[in-house]
Amino acid sequence: MRGFKWVITLLLLSGVLIGISCTQKKDEKKTVVQDSEPKYGGSLVIDVISDPKSFNPVIAKETSTTAVTGYIFEGLTQMNPFTTEIEPHLAKSWEFSKDGKTWIFYLRDDVKWSDGKPFTADDVVFTFNQLYYNKTIPADARDILTIEGKEIKVEKVDNLTVRFILPKPFAPLLFSMGFDILPMHVLEPVVKAGKFNSHWGVNTPPEQIVGTGPFLLSEYVPSQRVILKKNPDYWKKDKKINRLPYLDSIVMLIVPDQNSSLLKFQAGETDMLSMRREDYVVLKPQEAKGNFTIYNAGPTLSTTFLIFNQNPKKIQEHKWKWFTNQRFRQAIAHAIDKETMINNVMFGFAFSQDAAMTPTAKFFHNPNVRKYEYSLEKAKKILLEAGFNYKSGILHDKDGNPVEFTILTNAENNERVNIGNIIRADLQKLGMKVNLQPIQFNTLVTRLDSTSDWEGVIIGLTGGIEPHNGKNVWYSSGQLHMWYPKQQKPATAWEAEIDKLFDEGASELDSEKRKKLYLKWQEIVAEQAPVIYTVTPAALYSVRNNVGGIKQTSLAGVIPYIEEIYKK
Amino acid sequence: MAQKSNFRIIINRLRQNKRAWFAMWIIVALAFFALLADFISPYHYDEQNRTKSYHPPTAIHFVDAEGRFHLRPFVYNYSLVDPVFKRYEPDTKKIYPIYFFVKGDGRLRLFGTDEPSRLFLLGSDLHGRDLFTRLLYGGRISLSISLLGVFVSFILGLLMGGIAGYFGGKIDNILMRLGEVIMAVPGIYLLLALRAIFPVTLSSAQVYLLIILIMSFIGWAGLARVIRGMVLSIKEYDFVTAAKAIGSGHMRVIVRHILPNTLSYTIIAMTLSVPGYIIGEAALSFLSLGIQEPYPSWGNMLSAAQSIRVLTNAPWILIPGIFISITIICFNLLGDGLRDAFDPKATGGVEIK
Amino acid sequence: MTNYILRRLFHMIPLLLGVTVLSFAIMKLAPGDFLTQMALNPQIAPETIELIRRQFGLDQPWYVQYWKWLIGILQFDFGYSFTYRVPVSALILERVGNTLILSIGAAFISWAAALPLGVYSALYQNTRFDRIASFFSFTTISVPSFFLSLLGIFIAAKTGWFPTGGAVSANYSSLDMFGKLFDRLHHLILPVLVLGFIGTGSLVRQMRSNFLEVMRQPYATTARAKGLPEHIVIWKHIFPNAVNPLITLLGFEIASLLSGAALTEIVFSWPGLGRLILEAVMSYDLYLVMGSLFMGTILLIMGNLISDILLAFMDPRIKLG
Repeated sequence: MRGFKWVITLLLLSGVLIGISCTQKKDEKKTVVQDSEPKYGGSLVIDVISDPKSFNPVIAKETSTTAVTGYIFEGLTQMNPFTTEIEPHLAKSWEFSKDGKTWIFYLRDDVKWSDGKPFTADDVVFTFNQLYYNKTIPADARDILTIEGKEIKVEKVDNLTVRFILPKPFAPLLFSMGFDILPMHVLEPVVKAGKFNSHWGVNTPPEQIVGTGPFLLSEYVPSQRVILKKNPDYWKKDKKINRLPYLDSIVMLIVPDQNSSLLKFQAGETDMLSMRREDYVVLKPQEAKGNFTIYNAGPTLSTTFLIFNQNPKKIQEHKWKWFTNQRFRQAIAHAIDKETMINNVMFGFAFSQDAAMTPTAKFFHNPNVRKYEYSLEKAKKILLEAGFNYKSGILHDKDGNPVEFTILTNAENNERVNIGNIIRADLQKLGMKVNLQPIQFNTLVTRLDSTSDWEGVIIGLTGGIEPHNGKNVWYSSGQLHMWYPKQQKPATAWEAEIDKLFDEGASELDSEKRKKLYLKWQEIVAEQAPVIYTVTPAALYSVRNNVGGIKQTSLAGVIPYIEEIYKK
Repeated sequence: MAQKSNFRIIINRLRQNKRAWFAMWIIVALAFFALLADFISPYHYDEQNRTKSYHPPTAIHFVDAEGRFHLRPFVYNYSLVDPVFKRYEPDTKKIYPIYFFVKGDGRLRLFGTDEPSRLFLLGSDLHGRDLFTRLLYGGRISLSISLLGVFVSFILGLLMGGIAGYFGGKIDNILMRLGEVIMAVPGIYLLLALRAIFPVTLSSAQVYLLIILIMSFIGWAGLARVIRGMVLSIKEYDFVTAAKAIGSGHMRVIVRHILPNTLSYTIIAMTLSVPGYIIGEAALSFLSLGIQEPYPSWGNMLSAAQSIRVLTNAPWILIPGIFISITIICFNLLGDGLRDAFDPKATGGVEIK
Repeated sequence: MTNYILRRLFHMIPLLLGVTVLSFAIMKLAPGDFLTQMALNPQIAPETIELIRRQFGLDQPWYVQYWKWLIGILQFDFGYSFTYRVPVSALILERVGNTLILSIGAAFISWAAALPLGVYSALYQNTRFDRIASFFSFTTISVPSFFLSLLGIFIAAKTGWFPTGGAVSANYSSLDMFGKLFDRLHHLILPVLVLGFIGTGSLVRQMRSNFLEVMRQPYATTARAKGLPEHIVIWKHIFPNAVNPLITLLGFEIASLLSGAALTEIVFSWPGLGRLILEAVMSYDLYLVMGSLFMGTILLIMGNLISDILLAFMDPRIKLG
């Protein structure tokens, strides 16, 4: 997971972070940028929304922090940004036993920490055992590295070999090996003193932050900029065995929001911009004059969807009956005007989403799931078939209750409010009385998470490449199984089946067999429509023409490998 | 307890102040338009025209493509030719005359054209909703919210100030310290923090009331302080003593005898504090914490202008900001004129926040 | 005088206590807290969130939290910011300078514009100049700051004359002394102009009315009667007396800019205190909100105190005691 993670804060206030990654589908002509020979020197100026909150990657929760630490620290593996396959990184190779429970990783012998000390197996063992598995440290990684409640045993075999012993076979292991490895010689005393959680805060002197990555922290001025300088001893070399990276430094300008990012780019202060859809109109006419190129990198991992509360006893019973009715949800899925959403809300730069995995996920994406075309007639027909009827234009259920409900969404996110507005207007045309209520994100989450007193919600999640990481959402006992979270046992047969598919998927080591399981899961989701998808935005980038090494990738935007970027 | 003749004198003085008089009529006109929004606006504020997103103001013609003159003005129907840049092109083959006093949506409207053409006097927003219509309905919300907010906080302020000044002692101390605490916190943060307490699912009407209550909670303190000072001196007058002597209850003395004497100050201060409330509502809605979609208010309409794309390609979205400014200017001019009218000798300023 | 100042400072204590109780209560009454936002991240387990909650002491009842915070304040410990994970005092110190620069710059602009405008409006009362100046001041009072800031940004984007936000450019650290100074000034211009513009109107009006009032005073008439030249009467006798009452506003102004500048700081992405508080309120960063409101209140009270003292110095008729 190292590599360039270009991330934007969709809405600073909401705290919903959306990682933009892209597959390359359209604009084929633009993919190959004829580059001159790479050259050393220069600096790349980019922007980052809001300040890093620390330089400690283990406890970091915000993209503004990981956007910086992503350059400084590296994992054992990384994902190929073009193919989404896992490839070697700090580990040069690995092997696993037949039962899939023992994995051995062989480390590179040419990696040095930025303070000159060599990188060894001790660092890996330390990072897993004393940081990620340390109960006093709030590390996100721990949850992913825990397999059915049990930890992975991590042991040193020799100086450059590490053994992982798993409680049971775990297919996503390689994916999870991308977590940053940290220096033991620097951090062990800190952990022993119990001070790790506040260590490497934003006021740490830059040279004390020791990593193996292509860039090192050089300067941080709050609210203004982060400057990273080249790691002169970086282990990676280019084809001609020249030491990478090419750039001398990366300057990250801290901006409060995306409007400022746009303005900075327009003013020529930055070299690259992760654009919003609406920025296209502003920037496209300036392409030649501003000496930059706009790249459309295809759909992102970001999703926006409508869900209905299926939690019994939390809402009125007759409403619960509608929401648990597959036909009712399918009817509503037919009332989603994705074309208008794409044209008016997303300014033409979005894609209709049908499957639970977006096309960005490539390998696990199922393109053949059931699709719901926009047709109010069809929706009406389904509703009538399902026993609903109209009395003077208002939709009633079998028992004579008028169909009336409230859809919540978070007020801070304009795109969601606008999408909600379009859905509301269409549902009203179906004779439902729908009240759209944008509320504060925090309140919305409290309602989804603990009180469960809601009817419909429009919200988004950032999908992933590895379906297992969405287990929390899809597993019936999952915390984020939003329509009915934390079930004791699956409420419906199809939820039970999804549970089973996820269990099997986690331990299936044959990737083709594994893929089949997850394709099946996406079919069930589309058929049952517990989650009614809308559109997924396109990833757009503007890059100055003097930046070399730009390529469109599936995952890392237009910068596949930051160390190979250079200034012409 | 101003006498009738007094009132007439004041009106006459106000009329001589041309600027204030003019400002008053603009306010009346704005309020009138907002009240009659159902009749004046050509569409419903929530009518979406999905193929007419960010439509520029519709040109009104008298001469058609073949050069013929029409007495009745007409418009063309536009179709979207570029969804990304939102470019529209007119179909000049068919003209759509503008009719007055048309029936639409089951009620009488001032003007309109035939389907599928639309007459957007001030352009449309993202959902293709008529900005002119939303401006009228938004004015209804923005104006009423600030007037009601002022009203509630002044009732609070008058009562608190009256009670504090009249009784003095402990009550006075408690009320005034409370007021000082509220005034000591910079208003905008208090506004935001208070709004965050009540995010339980509220209907639009409740949000509306909530904004009024929050603004009143913040706004009463300043007035109460001044009223208290005035009451301190008024309560020493003979007529108060007399009222007390004939056995009037405390509240009766405060409400019937003391507070009316602060009337001229109150009227001026009320007029001059309307702008603060307009800005308060606009700022809340601008930050998406006030009036919510699909209901329009000037503040939430302006929040669409936070994006550079809208600023550069659909600048008509800024119009609500101009209306906010005009309204505030008018209230300031009127308040100023009222002050001169009540006390022609005074030229000193009441501080405007 | 010392006695008076001490007494005023003593009076601050209950006010400060009130403000902190009020702000703490409001923050605590709101549903959810800083950590609620993490609950929707599929990769963070609830146990992790509970762990952080315990570490920040957020699992304790509100009065315990308040008490701990208050004790901390007495030892000049403002607590930690949840979002930034650094001491609140460091964050505030970092930002308060930027806000002061902005406020002082804006105050300077509005005073420099308002004094002459006010004086000439009074001198040429009811002429066209007066009417235009008066309309100008009404406009500056009336335009909402966020609207004017939006227009400012719009102009900056269209013309390219000014930077579009922030306090310094990307290459700031590589500039020489003068380059740095110029760069800072360049970034300062637009926000200072916007804030200065907004502050001008009420000053013009005050100055004008004060001046008119002083002009009617007997001593002004006497000065004229003595045959002193008009400009001496105006600038030596009337002007100082007309400005005196305005001095009281100086203290207020610094404090009120703290509130008024918040939206401007946001639109201009100016790294000031206003933006810090606004973001802290929105993200439930409890101790940061508390700390900065505490500081803001102190600024406001000190501002008032300074105004009163200044006034006493300027006007011998006023006795503090």
